[in-house]
Amino acid sequence: MLDALAPDDLAWSTAAQLAAEVVAGRLKALEVVEAALARIRARDPLLNSFTAVTDQRARDRARTLDEARASGKPLGPLAGVPFAVKNLFDIAGLPTIAGSKINREKEPARQDAAVIERLEHAGAVLVGALNMGEYAYDFTGENIHDGASRNPHDLKRMTGGSSGGSGGAVAGGLVPLALGSDTNGSIRVPSSCCGIFGLKPTYGRLSRARSFPFVASLDHVGPMARSIEDLALAYDAMQGFDPDDPACVNRTPQPVTPLLGRGAAGLRIAVAGNYFKPRGAEALQAIDRVAIALGVDREIDIPQAERARSAAFLITASEGASLHLDRLRSRARDYDPAVRDRLIAGAMAPASLVVKAHKFRRWHREEVLKLFADVDVILAPATPCVAPVMGQQTFMFGDQELPVRANLGIYTQPISFIGLPVVAVPIPLSPLPIAVQIIAAPWREDIALRVAYTLEADGIAAAPRPPI
Amino acid sequence: MQRKPPRKSKHRRAKTSRKLRSRSPPGQISGRHPDSIGSFVEASARALGIPLERGWSEGVAFNLRLILRHAKLVDEFPLADDIEPGPVFYA
Repeated sequence: MLDALAPDDLAWSTAAQLAAEVVAGRLKALEVVEAALARIRARDPLLNSFTAVTDQRARDRARTLDEARASGKPLGPLAGVPFAVKNLFDIAGLPTIAGSKINREKEPARQDAAVIERLEHAGAVLVGALNMGEYAYDFTGENIHDGASRNPHDLKRMTGGSSGGSGGAVAGGLVPLALGSDTNGSIRVPSSCCGIFGLKPTYGRLSRARSFPFVASLDHVGPMARSIEDLALAYDAMQGFDPDDPACVNRTPQPVTPLLGRGAAGLRIAVAGNYFKPRGAEALQAIDRVAIALGVDREIDIPQAERARSAAFLITASEGASLHLDRLRSRARDYDPAVRDRLIAGAMAPASLVVKAHKFRRWHREEVLKLFADVDVILAPATPCVAPVMGQQTFMFGDQELPVRANLGIYTQPISFIGLPVVAVPIPLSPLPIAVQIIAAPWREDIALRVAYTLEADGIAAAPRPPI
Repeated sequence: MQRKPPRKSKHRRAKTSRKLRSRSPPGQISGRHPDSIGSFVEASARALGIPLERGWSEGVAFNLRLILRHAKLVDEFPLADDIEPGPVFYA
């Protein structure tokens, strides 16, 4: 419960705390929203998280919530919670730019993305659209059209991407909740670099309807927040079948918020070995901290993980190129050159090998599912290093020098390849945080979130408050 | 609708005695034509109708070499004929 209404308290309150205050009538939704808009005005010139602020819409929505409460109507579990979304989600009245120059010419969206509708149905209030890597083909958070998202923990550093604005806005206290998308790691990488919690649910769990795609076979959407309870509340609000997303699976929603307190006791947990063995000091320290806290001394081998990453790389290159082929023919000059070159190259990937990558995906899925007969949770690093400095081209991976743009997701890519649910939990190392992936079997987001909640309750995982 | 489980495959993976081919350096599809990528990029771009402006080919070739290196890792893994590809389409 909040004792005072100082702007700082509102900035660092969780979504659950804010909603409780609004539901109890101790805060008006409009006060919460105005405070968020003020923070965006004050801090975003530094962070460059937002590409659009939907201030009038947010005020109207907040007033509606306050009127509903005044007339005795029940409010949702996210009542009055300001949130923002990566700018590949449709927002009615705005073009869905997806980090690009080209999409700015699109007609304004006529309807919100499905997940925005569901969050607002739960009482949350959309305050804007967030910066991202162009067309989501990015792990850095840099964008030549809108400028780079900046890391609140060190403004000279990357947020990670491609949901870079989502990472910066949540870590920087602008909003308690944001939405991102994750094809190969684009929720988990910025969560790691910015020191926040991120959930990439099972492939097919949450609707992607009315979001700009990247790689249909691998695209996921999910929440990013500063607490596990907030992730769970948002995730629960967004669950449910949606025929508008062909990949969305018709499963009964399985609310996880009531299960968080069950803890990690009795769960069989192992650390991923071989390919996932950290080669950087921070990633190693983070994994060790989590393993020790959970009493884990078991290692498990995810078979053919390197090949899985390569197959994801190949499918991404090919499907991404296919999506953009017409634009590459007519508007190639309007892309970020780094993205353009990758997309054009992807168009030239041999189709026979792309199909083989999809076959390998099936093989790999079956092999990894066998592991879950013996374990409930697998731990792995989220990123190979802490947030790189802006403009940094390479990083050291053991004794190898690797390009940043393609390799920050080296540990995330094999996991999303087969659609496993993952929670990225930030470990507040000094001076910069780094995250660990809590990986569960398909459709067991509840287990991953329970483990993450335990780590948060024990003080092992936390979203550290940045010095801004 | 619940997604259908994948078909069970009798075959999993060839015996480890089937040696995997060693990796070639980036840019070599088979290891026999180390200089082919540049001309392949130009020809493919023409075939696909993508105009390559002066100075773009090098960046495209760099990325294509990277893609092919990953593709090779996939290619050299033996897979049974009856393994279905990952994507699922429901009529």
